[in-house]
Parts: sequence; C-alpha cells; structure tokens
Amino acid sequence: MSSKGVRGNPSLRRGVGSKTTDSEKIMEDPPAGDWLALRSDQLLKWIDDAVYNAAEATGMREVVDRVTRPIFNYAQRFSPHPLHFGIMCCAIEMGQASAPDHDIDRLGLVYRSSPRQCDILIVNGPVCEKLRPKLKTLYEQMPEPKWVIAMGECAISGGPYWDSYSVVAGADTFMPVDVYIPGCPVRPEALMHGFLTLQKKIREKEPGMFLRR
Amino acid sequence: MEITSFKQKLSSCEGVTEVSVIRDNVVKLNLGNKESKDFFIKLREDYGFEHCSLITAIDNQPEFELVYHFSAINGSVFVKNSPSAVMVEVHVFLERDTPTIESISDLWGGANWHEREAFDMMGIYFIGHPDLRRVLLPEGFAGHPLRKDYVYEIHEEEW
Repeated sequence: MSSKGVRGNPSLRRGVGSKTTDSEKIMEDPPAGDWLALRSDQLLKWIDDAVYNAAEATGMREVVDRVTRPIFNYAQRFSPHPLHFGIMCCAIEMGQASAPDHDIDRLGLVYRSSPRQCDILIVNGPVCEKLRPKLKTLYEQMPEPKWVIAMGECAISGGPYWDSYSVVAGADTFMPVDVYIPGCPVRPEALMHGFLTLQKKIREKEPGMFLRR
Repeated sequence: MEITSFKQKLSSCEGVTEVSVIRDNVVKLNLGNKESKDFFIKLREDYGFEHCSLITAIDNQPEFELVYHFSAINGSVFVKNSPSAVMVEVHVFLERDTPTIESISDLWGGANWHEREAFDMMGIYFIGHPDLRRVLLPEGFAGHPLRKDYVYEIHEEEW
C-alpha cells in the first residue's frame, strides 16, 4: 500500500459487486485538520471505504466472508418471516399451516404484519388489476434479501380466472417468483414443502456476506 | 292491512302493472321508468319500507331490467291475520340506448353502493347519484363487463 492508501484507486475497487468505478465519485482524503468539516454521511462513507479497502488489501475480506457466510445463511434459512397477507381460499390453508396440527412455526416461520420486517411474500390467490399496484408496493417495501412464493393455481397462472377481464394471469407477470406451489387450494403439507424448497434455494444461492459490496 | 289489500293499494299507483303476490309475504310488480321516483317516495314515506335489500341489473337483450328488493319489518302489513315482515320486488325495464333512471340513494342510503355496482358492471346511469364512480373495477377500465355484448378483446386493447 502506498502512503496515500488504495482508496480512490479504481482498479482495486473493481472487484465483485464493486459499488462504483467512476474515479470522480470516489472521495479524496480529507485534508489534515479538516475532520470537523465532514458531514456525517461523508464520515460514514469514509469509514466504510477505509474498512473495505483494508479488508480487501489484506485478504481479510475473503476470510471474513468464509466465516460469516454459513452463519448468515443458516440464520436466513431457518428464520424466514413471511408477510401475513391473504387474498383468497389459499390464505385459509396458510392459517391452517400455522395451527397446531401442522405447526409451521417449528420451521422458524413467523408471520409478520409489516412488509418492513419480512423476507417472504406469499401470493395466495387471484391478483386482480385493482390489487396489482398494491401488491407491487408491498413487494418493494420489503428489505433485501427477499423471496416470493406463488401459492396455488391462481397465483401461478390465473387459475380458473385466466381469461377474466380483471384477474392478472399469474403473479410472475409483474414480480419475480422463486417457488411455485401447485394446488387448488394448496394443502398445508404442500405449503410446508414449498418453504423447504425455498430453504434449499437459499442454501444454494448463499447470500449473507458480511462485507458485501 | 292485509297483504291482499296492500296489493290493491300498490296496483292503484301510477305506472304500476302486473302486481302479484308470489309468496306469502312477497309482492312482485312491474314499474314504468318515468314514474319510478314517485312510487319509491310513496313506498318509503307512506308504507314504511325502511330497507333497500338489493338493486341489481339484468341484460335481457335488447332491454335492461333493474330489480329492486325493499322490505318492511314494522308489522304494518298483515299476513294471515298476523303482523309480518313483507317484501316488495320491483322490476323496471330500461331501453338499451338510454339506460338511465332516477337515483334513490337519497331515500335509502344503502342504495348508494348498489347503484355504483350496477353502473360499474352493467353501465346503468343513475341520475342524481352523489358519487357515481366504479366500485369494483379500477378507474380507467374500458366498458361494462357484465353486458352481454361486452367483448374481451376490447379489454385487451384498451386496458
């Protein structure tokens, strides 16, 4: 490392998931004695860059990722929080899956009522044209990483209402869908299998890096 | 007042035709479009029909048919010598080119959304309605989908 540091050198920043490659946007070192002139967001960004560059230059990033990735992945896999959102008869089956007979809580699934606290959006029923913008808003309010489950025939393709004047032909026409669960309505066991399939998918994708860019 | 005399009184109103008692406590009648508001005011004020249960529209091709259900539970009408809840079923026929009728949402507040639904699905225009918007379909939807001559391709193109 030079005395000026690697910060501001675009060639070192162009790694996987690099945030910016524009050399003009990368912040210069603040001049000595000018620390108080930094705004809080500038200071945070400066610290962020400093930590990232140090980890990258010393090879610590790989080490940290290798340690944190399985832990974070484990945590995300076994505590997915679906949004408590029901449209039609599949929502009854969703409620039955939480009931003592099937008890989906033992998979770590806790239904939350706010999209800000959720990882999974379950689309369970026919999405009509009037509901579509609201459902899209709910999806966009959820923080990353997030997944979508299309539950039942109506959410997969429109089901019996596929040629209706008001029903959207499937949830995947306007949002990315990860797992499709067929059934009309879906049985609680099938919903449980869908969640297990999603767990498998999360394990394969391996999100959850600590120093991710 | 026994239900047979109640039927006689209704049949003497203006615009009323084909009055009949179709069940023990249900009177069915046909009504002209122009005289409808006066008849409904009389039904509300004089006979005490406080509840508008239903307004729906039927596409009989070529004309439209509106069906109103009103019920009274104040016991002023007798069925088999005992005070009873009665219902009046009103049929109004509208021309296809001008499907308009006077709104009754100022008489029965519950008629408001029934009329909005009939407008939304069948395209019946209620004159004097305070807020005649679509109630089930989104704003900007083209056409009235429960009409028999509604074509799905219109929906595909314009929506």
